[in-house]
Formats: sequence, C-alpha cells, structure tokens
Amino acid sequence: MKQTLLYESHQKLNAKMVDFAGWNMPLQYTGIKDETLAVRKDVGVFDVSHMGEIFVSGKDAAEFLDYILSRKISDKNPALTNYAFLCYEDGGVVDDLMVYQLNPELFMLVVNAANTEKDFAYIQEVLADFPKKSGVLVEDRSDIYGLLAVQGKDSLEPVQDALANVFPDLGLVSKLEELKRFRQMHLPLEEALLIISRTGYTGEDGYEIYIPQKYVVSLWDSILESGVKPCGLGARDALRLEAGLVLYGNEISEQINPIEAGLTKFVDLNRNFVGSKMSETYRYKIIAIKATDRSIPRENYKVFYQGEQIGKITSGSFSPTLNKGIAFALVSPELPDDAKTVQIEVRRKQADFLITETPFIQF
Amino acid sequence: MIEIKNDRYYAETHEWILFEDDIAYIGITDFAQSELGDIVYVESEEEGELFEQGEIFGSVESVKMASDLYMPIDGEILEFNEILADEPELINEDAYENWIIKVKVTNPDQQNDLLGVKEYQAVIDEE
Repeated sequence: MKQTLLYESHQKLNAKMVDFAGWNMPLQYTGIKDETLAVRKDVGVFDVSHMGEIFVSGKDAAEFLDYILSRKISDKNPALTNYAFLCYEDGGVVDDLMVYQLNPELFMLVVNAANTEKDFAYIQEVLADFPKKSGVLVEDRSDIYGLLAVQGKDSLEPVQDALANVFPDLGLVSKLEELKRFRQMHLPLEEALLIISRTGYTGEDGYEIYIPQKYVVSLWDSILESGVKPCGLGARDALRLEAGLVLYGNEISEQINPIEAGLTKFVDLNRNFVGSKMSETYRYKIIAIKATDRSIPRENYKVFYQGEQIGKITSGSFSPTLNKGIAFALVSPELPDDAKTVQIEVRRKQADFLITETPFIQF
Repeated sequence: MIEIKNDRYYAETHEWILFEDDIAYIGITDFAQSELGDIVYVESEEEGELFEQGEIFGSVESVKMASDLYMPIDGEILEFNEILADEPELINEDAYENWIIKVKVTNPDQQNDLLGVKEYQAVIDEE
C-alpha cells in the first residue's frame, strides 16, 4: 500500500489508519466528531498528499485545457483556482479537479488520488488526437508534491507562522495577508514550486499548501506546533458533506454527469469541449436531504416518494455540526420540484427526510 | 490498548454478556467501540420481546457507520439502558460499564457456545 511522507507522523499521533484508494491514510486521530468541530470552530490540518498533481504545459496548453475541461479556463482570472470536470464524450465524469494557472503556459490539475493514473492516461489519450498536440506537454508530478490543507476560520496565523518557520527568507507572511478567498499564489522553490491557495474541501476559510515533498514533514510539524488539530479523512468527509460538496464516485461518476448532479455552474456549455453532450441526457437528479428524527442515512439506503422507490443515498452521514443525519440522494428526475419530503428505508423502517438546500450548514 | 474483561463472555460479533443468575447484561466490546469510532445513536427492540441467539436486537451507529447488534443467547429484553438514548457516547468512554440491554436468560445452556477471554482475543487478533 502507498503511504505519504507523513506516515510515521500519523503513527506517532496514534491515528487510526485506513486503506483509501490504495493509500494507507489517517481516518481519524482523536475522533471524527471533535476533528470536525475543531475545523468548524477553530482550525484543523489534513494530510492530503495522496492527491494527484498533473501539470499541463506548452504554448497550446490553455487551448487544450479549454477542450478537455468543463470550463473555459482561458477566460478565467488566472489568480483564481477553478473547479472543473474532466469528462468523457457522453458527459460522464472522469474526475473532478481544481485548475491552477501558474503562468499562461503552465497549469496544474489537482485530481482525486484514486483517479490520478486513470486521469493521466485519459488526458494523454485525448491529447493524441488533439490537432496542436505538439504544443502541449502532460506530466504526472504527484510524486514531487505533498499537500497539506489547513482549514477553519483561524487558519491564517498558524499558516503564516509555519511557513515563516520553514521558509524564513520568502516573505510569505505579508503575501499570505494579501491572498483572497479562492485565489492562489506560487513561487519557485528549487526545481519545483511552492503553491498556496486559499481554498479547501470543508466550506470553511483555509489554505491548501502544495509543497515539494522534502519539506512536508517540517511544515506539518510546524503547523501542529501552532496548536492546529490534526484531522483525518473521516472528518474531511463529514465536513465536505455538511458543506454540500460532492464526492467523485458518489454524486458524480462515469454514470452521473455534472448537470444531473446539479453542478451546471461549473460547466461552460455552448462550445466545443469533450463532454458537451452532457446537456442531452437527464436520467436522474441529485437532491440534498436531512433527517426529521434521529435516523442516519447511509450510502445505498433506498429512497421512496409516495410509496415508490425513486432512488438511493449516494453519501450519508451523521452531521457532527447539526447533530442529525444528512445525505445526498440520486433520484428519478420525475420527483416534482415542489416535493418537500422523501422517505428513507433505515433498517427495515421508513423515516421522513426533508428535501433541503445546500450547504446543509450556515457559514 | 483494547481491553477484554475476564468477568464475562463474548460473541464473535463483538457483544459481551455478563450473567447474574438468570439475568444477563449485554453490551458491545471495547474493540467494537474502537472500530466504530464516535457513537451517536443506540437503539434496541422493544422490552418484553423474545429473541433467539444470533437474532438482531438493535443497532449502534457512529458518525461513519451503522452496525447491527446480535443476541449472544436466547432471551427476553427486560430493559434498554435509557441513558444511552441521550448519551450514546458513554459506550466510547466505557464499553463494559455501559450495558445496552438487560435480558432474562431463557436457555442457560447456551453459555457453552460463548467465547472466553482467550477465544475472543483470538477473534480480534484476526481482524
């Protein structure tokens, strides 16, 4: 099984480890509940170094990305990090990813750990038929970068302190002061880059720091020394669900396209890109629901409306912040838009769930 | 460290059972609570109902998963430990102190089917 450079650090913290897409990762340190609440109230740090970093460069890189991604990247403010989908011809999703423009001819795609190899192979395959392929280079640099996510409203100070501690000469404290939400900054570091974005997967303010691997342990230690709570993948999943953020393989997949998942705002339609056919199908829709009693919805539980099964839960959990069950469900598009409740079969009994807006919690 | 107490018996499905004459208390083991993580809900079937060994008598849910509870022996549910309805996390704090149900034992011979400390240790060593 693969492990990140922080494997020993996690063991020293007595983390409960779990196999996640072939990676031995921390599920939790002290508990999913208190880790989730630490991020909601103060700040927590996640080792997400397993995620993939695919670099696309060259004079025709931007045009190529416009063609393979759901968003027209060349139109976007280069300081922003953009969420986008990599799709098949029919609109089925290969992966969801974040796009960083590092210069007009250099882009980083941050992809799901489970999909890195698949994405890389797929991008190469599409590139092979791309007319300007000689002007594009695609490289998997996942082995070069570690990734730490510091999340929560009190993120800035510990991130400043830790980065100043590891890189005293880079003037990062004032640069971080100026970095706005959803924007990124980067600077050369030896043969690679230090990339910092004010983004995350929790709904909270926070920072994601892409750092050459040899610095990962000292950055992690410095962040913990600032009193930031280490958090595992269990809390990460609870946090992303509370924030109404989808997970690849659950709410979007090869079978569920972005429009069906209600994510049309991350698709620039009416142009030629791989996957533009997604607007032609509408086989299901994703809804958000919350419990009216103490029932906790879980993945694959059946969803009913007026006595008929109309779908199933794609992600479900107890929400530590709301103290109740919340979920995404994949249902028939025929479920009326004004429907207020559905029923979920929870251990042979049916429980009422309210259809709700996302995010599930108020920020 | 996972604790196993030597005053009681165990089932392969990670319940413990503590006998007091023809009454028994049933809960989940320290190993089970540790695997589940933060427990947020516990429920059992109605008091007065009869269950056979191996039947589902309730469930326990943590943030990340739901798990059924199995009767280690035949018995009638006399009482559900109501304090767990409001404070299910007590099981995380002390899995052996916080029993889930109290039962009337209807087939005492089944005690022979249950696991002792060493046998249960072997079960968790395999997992």
